[in-house]
Amino acid sequence: MAIEIVMPKLGWTMEEGVLDEWVKNDGEQVQPGDIIFVVESDKALQEIEAFDSGILRIPPDAPPVGSTVKIGELLAYLVQPGEAPPFELKAADEAPATTTPAKPPGTPASEAQPASTKQRRPSRKGGPAASPRAKRIAAELNIDWTTLTGSGRSGRIVERDVRAAAATAQADDEKDLRITPLARRVALDAGLDLDELAARFAGARVTRADVEKLAAERQAVPEDKRSTMTSVRRVTRDRMVESARTTAPVTLSSEVDATELLQLRRKLKADGADIVPTYTDLLAKLVAKALREHPALNAAIAGDEIVLRGAINIAIAVDSERGLLAPVLRNADLLSLLELATASAELVDHARGGALKPEQLGDATFTISNLGMYDIDVFTPVISLPQAAVLGIGRIRPRHVVIDAEAERSAIRHMMTLSLTFDHRLVDGAPAARFLQRVKQYVETPYLWLVN
Amino acid sequence: MREITYTEAAREALAEQMAIDPSIFVVGEGIGERGGNFNTTLGLYEQYGPMRLRDTPIVERGFVGMCAGAAMTGGRPVVDFMFIDFILDSMGELLNQISKVQYMSSGRIKMPIVLRGCIGIGGAAATHHSGSYYSIFAHIPGLRVALPSTPYDAKGLMKTALTGDDPVLFLEHKLLLNRRGRVPEEAYSIPFGQAAVVRSGSDATVVALTVMLPKALAICEDLAREGIEIEVIDPRTVAPLDIDRILESVHKTGRLLIVDETFGPCGIGAEISALVMENGFDDLDAPIARLNGLHTPTPYSPTLENAVTPDQAAITRAIRDLLAE
Repeated sequence: MAIEIVMPKLGWTMEEGVLDEWVKNDGEQVQPGDIIFVVESDKALQEIEAFDSGILRIPPDAPPVGSTVKIGELLAYLVQPGEAPPFELKAADEAPATTTPAKPPGTPASEAQPASTKQRRPSRKGGPAASPRAKRIAAELNIDWTTLTGSGRSGRIVERDVRAAAATAQADDEKDLRITPLARRVALDAGLDLDELAARFAGARVTRADVEKLAAERQAVPEDKRSTMTSVRRVTRDRMVESARTTAPVTLSSEVDATELLQLRRKLKADGADIVPTYTDLLAKLVAKALREHPALNAAIAGDEIVLRGAINIAIAVDSERGLLAPVLRNADLLSLLELATASAELVDHARGGALKPEQLGDATFTISNLGMYDIDVFTPVISLPQAAVLGIGRIRPRHVVIDAEAERSAIRHMMTLSLTFDHRLVDGAPAARFLQRVKQYVETPYLWLVN
Repeated sequence: MREITYTEAAREALAEQMAIDPSIFVVGEGIGERGGNFNTTLGLYEQYGPMRLRDTPIVERGFVGMCAGAAMTGGRPVVDFMFIDFILDSMGELLNQISKVQYMSSGRIKMPIVLRGCIGIGGAAATHHSGSYYSIFAHIPGLRVALPSTPYDAKGLMKTALTGDDPVLFLEHKLLLNRRGRVPEEAYSIPFGQAAVVRSGSDATVVALTVMLPKALAICEDLAREGIEIEVIDPRTVAPLDIDRILESVHKTGRLLIVDETFGPCGIGAEISALVMENGFDDLDAPIARLNGLHTPTPYSPTLENAVTPDQAAITRAIRDLLAE
């Protein structure tokens, strides 16, 4: 008995997944525990293991790689050695009567082979097969059937193919296009417009060489490329639109002196620790601390209610090949700096490797987005619903700043700009400003977080 | 027009001809006072008495042989077998004498005999009462084989059977006997060898025999709602077979499916298929398809009985497969 392999349900809310890739190929032997394929669901990639052993058989009409597949939909079968793949037998299993050829006389009824299982022998000669009728009509309509592509089962050229070719030829005549079948195919493959060909070669017979020449000219300008959105892209699209549509975002920016933060990181590095916290980690720690003191910014909106979240779960925006991901540092305020840095490194690794688990996403209460590495100073990050705010971190760069105006003293300091976007529906400007000011204080005197 | 049953229609033709032709008499088991197991002679005994409605003992070989002699000497016997399966006891008389006498006598001796009985699978009649055998009869030169599938055809074909000089197998599917249909009150006949185009269409041709005809028609009406137009042909007689009508249709559609409840091997479908291949090869846009009952003795269990006959789903699938070829 062939074992069906279907799109698995990987979470309570999962309704569909993208078949990302086949790790095993059609015809390959599979053991229990082997990873057979990879599914992308709601921003996470999951490797799917085999529960049984057998030979993987992927039906020709199975969903292609990259397509979105409903859960439970058939992807492939596992069959035992010597067992025929079931995708051709399937309809026939239910057939009560036979479309002949009926079994030879004298064989027991149970061996009767229903029609759809019959394997027609391939035609003896090479090249495409055409039905006798298709050949006759091709001769009548003066169509060279050997250049056609058959639409019949097993690729047989049938009457409708010949008539379609004749109709096309007639349409060509009407637009004064004379083109060889081969040139037509090349033109269509190259995406050239037949009307344009007709205009350009009016009256002349268009050959393959003409078409290829025109196609080569066109190649100078790359064509538009279309691709289906990945599920990450679609989720991002939906969330961004929802945020833009429903929040009342206000962005405050403040320049802060990050010299002490820089020193702190250098000293930790010099200390020879295995894991040195990144600036993002340091900011996450300091922001968590500031949030504990300013719970209004660690809030969510729920209808007419404002929920001040008890936990402080900080999402870190990560740029990955799959798009923007935001894995979550849970209870960031309760983690030691080392714990936080370790957890964060793992999350970023998983995000970049496409192996984030659903539980590593979601339920964030605040987001940090760092674009400093791209020389960005100020920006207006978008709030990720249902959170109340998001902090954008700019680059740290040395600047000549005034330390004491009256004494006319200046110094070179490492400066950074923080951009806080908050949802004015929940928070007013002053409390948000106070929160940002507190973050600024922590950045400028980072040892403050050692207290309590 | 009035509607009567298939059995009533065939009986009407018999009664009409018995009134016209005093040489016609009916022989069989229970066809006298009882009126026939399937009411084939109901009411005729009262009118014509035991000389023309002759009950027999259970000796098929004997009474078939005697009727063959009667036909050779000016009589016009109708042998009513109830179930046509019982004719098997007299196959020697049928295949070796009845079918050959006209040839052997250079046409000087006629063989105007009608051999009738019900055929087919249905009603848990089990394997001794579910045979059809028409491909066997059609294989033999000298026999005519009528397969009416509507009350109208039953009357018209019976009329022709009772007026010709050849031996005729008149085979009535047991699931058609009580089907009603429009039948004119006046006398008419349907010549043998004239297929009926029951439904016209251009996408494919379906040849459906006897009980498969109403099934196939219903499916084709459904398919028409999807824009699929199937031409449905009822051959009405398989000996002679109106292959020209089928070829004309295939010339139009390019695709052919033969739906026949009886066995596939060496069957009518095989014959039609071969003839179309020989005479209409260049019209074919797809391999000819056949849908037959399973090649097995008919089971008694109704469940198994259904499983060996082509049902609506199987016919629909066969048509769709043909269109996809």
